[in-house]
Order: sequence, then structure tokens, then C-alpha cells
Amino acid sequence: MDEEGRVLALEMLPYRNLPRQAAVAVMDAAMARAGVTEGHLARCLSTGFGKKAVHIADATAHSEFCLQRALWDIDPAIRTVIDVGGHTVNAFNIDPRGRISETAIIDKCVAGTGKFVEIMAKALELPLDVDPALLDGRDPVPMTNQCVILAESEVISLVNDGYDRLDIYAGMAASVASRIVGLSKRVAKIEKVAIVGGVAKNVAVRREVESKLGVELASLGGIDPQVVGALGAALLAKDEAEQGQR
Amino acid sequence: MTLCAGCDVGAATAKAVVLDGDDILGFEIIACRASAVQSATDVMDGLLKRLGLGYEDITCYVSTGYGREIVPFSSGNYSEISCHGKGAHWLVPSIRTIIDGGGQDCKAIGVNDRGQIDDFRMNTKCAAGTGRAVEIMTEAIGLEVSELGTYARRASDPVVLQEPCCILTEIEIRHLVLEGFETADIAAGIADIIARRIAGLARNMGVRKDVAITGGLAKNEAVVEALEKHLGVEFVRFPYDPQIIGAIGAALFASELAAGEGRVIR
Repeated sequence: MDEEGRVLALEMLPYRNLPRQAAVAVMDAAMARAGVTEGHLARCLSTGFGKKAVHIADATAHSEFCLQRALWDIDPAIRTVIDVGGHTVNAFNIDPRGRISETAIIDKCVAGTGKFVEIMAKALELPLDVDPALLDGRDPVPMTNQCVILAESEVISLVNDGYDRLDIYAGMAASVASRIVGLSKRVAKIEKVAIVGGVAKNVAVRREVESKLGVELASLGGIDPQVVGALGAALLAKDEAEQGQR
Repeated sequence: MTLCAGCDVGAATAKAVVLDGDDILGFEIIACRASAVQSATDVMDGLLKRLGLGYEDITCYVSTGYGREIVPFSSGNYSEISCHGKGAHWLVPSIRTIIDGGGQDCKAIGVNDRGQIDDFRMNTKCAAGTGRAVEIMTEAIGLEVSELGTYARRASDPVVLQEPCCILTEIEIRHLVLEGFETADIAAGIADIIARRIAGLARNMGVRKDVAITGGLAKNEAVVEALEKHLGVEFVRFPYDPQIIGAIGAALFASELAAGEGRVIR
């Protein structure tokens, strides 16, 4: 991001090895795309699960602060944020002055996370995010297990029992949404509600979350919901660089 | 001779036992097939064939385990909790606590001096502490579950795994491997985290001596040793494979049914 807050490059890579190696790979790719080197960076903040492993970061930032910072720019009317990442589900409120109030997190169990969707999709031999058109008019098969290991074997049994894989997928999406909505009830449900993180890109889950919450999820104005945290970290770094110059 | 059989269809394996009065004629353990019916039929077919018997030679069949209600040849079914209690008490009457480590669940069962169940705890929501969790974690260090003990015993500085969910632990382990930690030290860490989970469940119920461990996890020496350490007890060892205790219990219930005792639960 430049000093005006314009995004020069944006990169996303799946983990292949250690967080610190992933951080090097993704930063190198982003800097190459932007045509800059490490020396050009006035300030760099890291966030997320592997934030301590980012070699070139000047400091780390809490993911909630990063999300709040980016969402404040995207739409300052957002009051409830649900962040569904690979390993955790996090919900929090932002007050009208931009401060974070209530927060809640699930970080001891992967039910409802991206990892859960990934394992279920693999067991069903379906893509991670199934084309939503294929899910229209489906008859979702209710799932009884929340634990990913138990749910995986439940799904395999359902396939063996002859249930349609897309019906099972629709049931799985509803189960993930229940978990996410369950957590979000631990904070206040104040509109607008935004969902970010990788799972926010799954249309089946989004629809279920909207129907269970009874609200329409806020638009992020075309910004990939999976990069909101990184965008916020860059904005915070920009803020800090400006303060340092003053 | 009155022959009776027990069939225990679990989440990962199916077990069958044939009893001739007080003698165990034979037993069989197979990995689960695509359906519980297929698992039950295959394990019983295999055992009867090996013993040179036909289905009509068995007076009564009782089923137990996760798939117990749909076993086609069964005259009745009992819960795996009752069957483990029954089987363990019959083999070693001094047993008061049974820890059953199955493929997808883990139970602590309290038994009184008459072999009746007086308490139990079971994890139903989370697979941490089960056979499947051991499998997933052991795979992450490139070992077979049967090799875990050999490696764990060689550990010089066991790692302490932190993550509560076994999928998160798997990721934690993969990172330790990439960081260059010794396989033996991670193997010991795996046995320890599984033992911690099971010990928590057992302590929640209360552990009375004698204590025994049944199920597939009972064959995992690394986990068994770690669990003995955490609970501060030495387990009673069974004279038979600890994975067939539930099937033995089912066969004992079948004997009672054949003798006109006990209730038929269908």
C-alpha cells in the first residue's frame, strides 16, 4: 500500500510449510508485484495466527484491530463483525466511534471453520466452495456431529447410505452456519453485520448465516473477505508511519 | 454343547467372539466395511468359517457397539457400556473401573462387585482422545499407529502438545516436524496428549481400583503407559485381546438369553 492508502499489490498463498516460510513467500510475491523491495517499506505490521513468524514485520497487530481498521474504511456503519478463518471463528462489535466492544472467539475446536469445510468437502469429493446454483432447491441432510472427525465419518456413512452428496453438502453448510451464528450470539447483533475470512466466500454458508441471523450481510464493496485482515494491518502500518513522520 | 456368539460393531473395527460355556472358542477382528451390516456379516462369517461352524450351530447371537441395532443375525442387543462391564468383570472380577478407548469415542465405566455398571462418562462431542485422533497425529509424523510405542520409548525430551482439537494438534505436529524436532520426542508427546484427554474423563467419573483399559487404544503401549502415569495406577492386564472385551460381554449376554435368563433388548 502506498502513502495514500492505495493497494499496489495483493497476494494470497496457501500454506505449504511453516508460517515463517509462508510469510517470506507471500511478502516476496507481493513486493515483486508492486515493484518494490523491503527498503521501500516505511512500516510493516503482521497479524493472524502466524503473526510472530513474519520476518520483516516491525510489530504485530491483533486481528480484531486490523479488521476494524479496514472495515471502518470500507463501511463505517458496520457494527458486528464475524471472522471465520481457517482455524478459528471470532465475532465482535464496533461502536459508533470505531472502538471494539464485545468480543467472542472459538479457538479450541475447528467446527465451523475453514478447516471443517475443507475436510467435509474432501470427504464428499466436492470443491471447497460449491457453485451456489447447484445448491438451489436442495434438501439439506441435517448433520448431528459438530466435531470434524465425527462429522467426517458421519458424512462418509451418509454417502454410503445413498444420500446425494450435494444434499449432504447443503446440510454441512447449514451446520457450519449454526456454529458461526451460535458464536455471534455471544456478542450483540447490531446491523450492519459483516462476515470476513475465507469461509465468507462460501455462498452456501453465507446464505445460511443470513437466514439464521435474519439479516442481510453487509457488502464489502468488492473487497475479497479473506484479505480484510491484511488490508487492515497495512492501513494501521500506514497510520503509524504517518504518526512517526509528524 | 451350547454355543453363543457376541458381535461388537464399532466405529473403526468389528469384533466377533464365540463362547462354548466358559471357554472362548475363538475371536475375530476386522476393519469396518462400508456399512455396519457388512462389517457384522464379514466378521462373523470369517470367525465361523475358521471355527468350521455354520450360523445354525450358534444358539444365540447378541450384538453391541455403534452398529448394534442393525446386525441381521442378532437375537438382541446391549449397549457397549453394559457389554464392556460384563466382559471385563467376567475375566477379572476385581475390576471397578474400565477405560474404553474406541475408534471414535472414549468412555470411563464404573463397575460394582457384581459386574453391574454403576457410573459412566463418555465423550460424545469431540474426538480428541480417541483412536482416530491417535491415527491422525501419528500419520503426521509418518508412522504407523503400531510403531508409536517403539518411538515414544526412545524419546529423550518429549514435546508437550498444546492444541485441544486433534486437527489443530495435527497442524502443530506438522510444524514441529518442519522445525526439526525428533520423531521419538513427538511420538511421546502424542501418547501424552491422548492420555491427558482420557485421564481427564476418567478422573471426572472417579477412578477406583482395579482399573483396566479396553478397546483398540489398549493395544497402544505408549498411550497405556502414559495413561498409567497420569492416573497413578497400573492397569490390570486381560488374558485376552483387550479389543474383544465388548464382544465377550455380548456373547455372555447371549448365553444368558439362551439359558432363558435376562431380557431381550431389540
